[in-house]
Amino acid sequence: MGKKVLVVDDDPDVRLFNVTVLEENGYTPLVATNGEEGKNLAKHEKPDLVILDVLMPRESGIRLYRELKTDKNLKHIPIIMLSGIAEKSFLRSQKVLAEFGDAPVPEPEAYLEKPVDAEELAATIKKIIG
Amino acid sequence: MKIKKLLFVTKFEELGFDALQSLLSLREAGLEHVVFVNIIERERVAMRRGTGYSKEAEIRLRETANIRFIDWAENLFEQGMEVGAYIVVGNLVGEVIKAAQKEEADLIVVGRSQKGVIEQLYAGSDITELLHRTSKPVLVYKYLSESSFALEKPFESPLLATDWSPASLRAIDFLKELKGIIQKIHVVHVVDQKQLSGSAMAIQKTRKKIRAKLDEICQTFEAEGISASPHVYVGDPEQEIEKAARECQATLIVMGSSGKANWVERWLGSTPRNIAEKSDFPTLLIPPIKL
Repeated sequence: MGKKVLVVDDDPDVRLFNVTVLEENGYTPLVATNGEEGKNLAKHEKPDLVILDVLMPRESGIRLYRELKTDKNLKHIPIIMLSGIAEKSFLRSQKVLAEFGDAPVPEPEAYLEKPVDAEELAATIKKIIG
Repeated sequence: MKIKKLLFVTKFEELGFDALQSLLSLREAGLEHVVFVNIIERERVAMRRGTGYSKEAEIRLRETANIRFIDWAENLFEQGMEVGAYIVVGNLVGEVIKAAQKEEADLIVVGRSQKGVIEQLYAGSDITELLHRTSKPVLVYKYLSESSFALEKPFESPLLATDWSPASLRAIDFLKELKGIIQKIHVVHVVDQKQLSGSAMAIQKTRKKIRAKLDEICQTFEAEGISASPHVYVGDPEQEIEKAARECQATLIVMGSSGKANWVERWLGSTPRNIAEKSDFPTLLIPPIKL
């Protein structure tokens, strides 16, 4: 079985695209449709990598990212942010939350702005988890 | 009834980011999370003939909404807010209610219905249907451009129109939670002229009784540190509430919504619905608790 990669995205087309890229490259995909589901799956499955969207129902990727990166059991899991939200806005929001008293978090291992092509996604995953 | 999460329902031609920005004063009263909802109504993606629908039209509408939401979300994320979004094809009211339940939203914000009078009579008003199907407060927001009021702080000076119904009493609890952002509340009751019969003494007695009830409500607000003043008006409720809002320079009209059956409201109308649809002021409607 290949390394487990958790895809958290509310858009079914994006999920399908990510899952296809993962399977074609020998990884085992896990899928969540919002931040809350993603958090539960990450806790139970301890994936090797998370591919995370930002703008989603229930809980955004901004919050889930913080939760993963501040959880002592999960913070080692690398995260690729894959979103239409600009990297600059993502980083600024994390900075603002830290200024409001939340714990500071490191930058993600990679930030890809949608849309992304299959080769670029596969290469980014490979670079991070092999 | 703290407003931590609001659902911002938009059909872009009705509500824009300027409207949303003006609601961000609610952050001082606990707002943390904004969820954008865009419902693509089925008829907008239906084929001209047959029963199918155009996937291409759906994609175009979805992505148009997505582009707007990304722009808005970036702005709010950068202010430290939590943001979510729904873009779905379906029935407007049904999908809004589903999203409100899923998100456990505390307030639903919608634009004024754009349907004409005849269309509303036959098809019903989205606002009326929404109020009948949800127990969540609904804020009917207006175009900023067509309004002559400064809506930078819509909750600064609300006018609470009360008819003593359970829903309007619920509105008191709702407004108490906004004490951090309300400067002054005007509490109004409109007396039907028919109630004012008999001698001058009898009429003044009625006024005094109503005034005492309004004073009680004002004291409830004052106990929370919110300045409040009572006002008695006489005449047609719809006209008088609008007049009171102007005279008090209110920024918002707040009312309990009627418990009348949907069809009764459709054919006979109701004061909250009519004000929500026609008033120049944003209108916050608090439904009774659904049992």
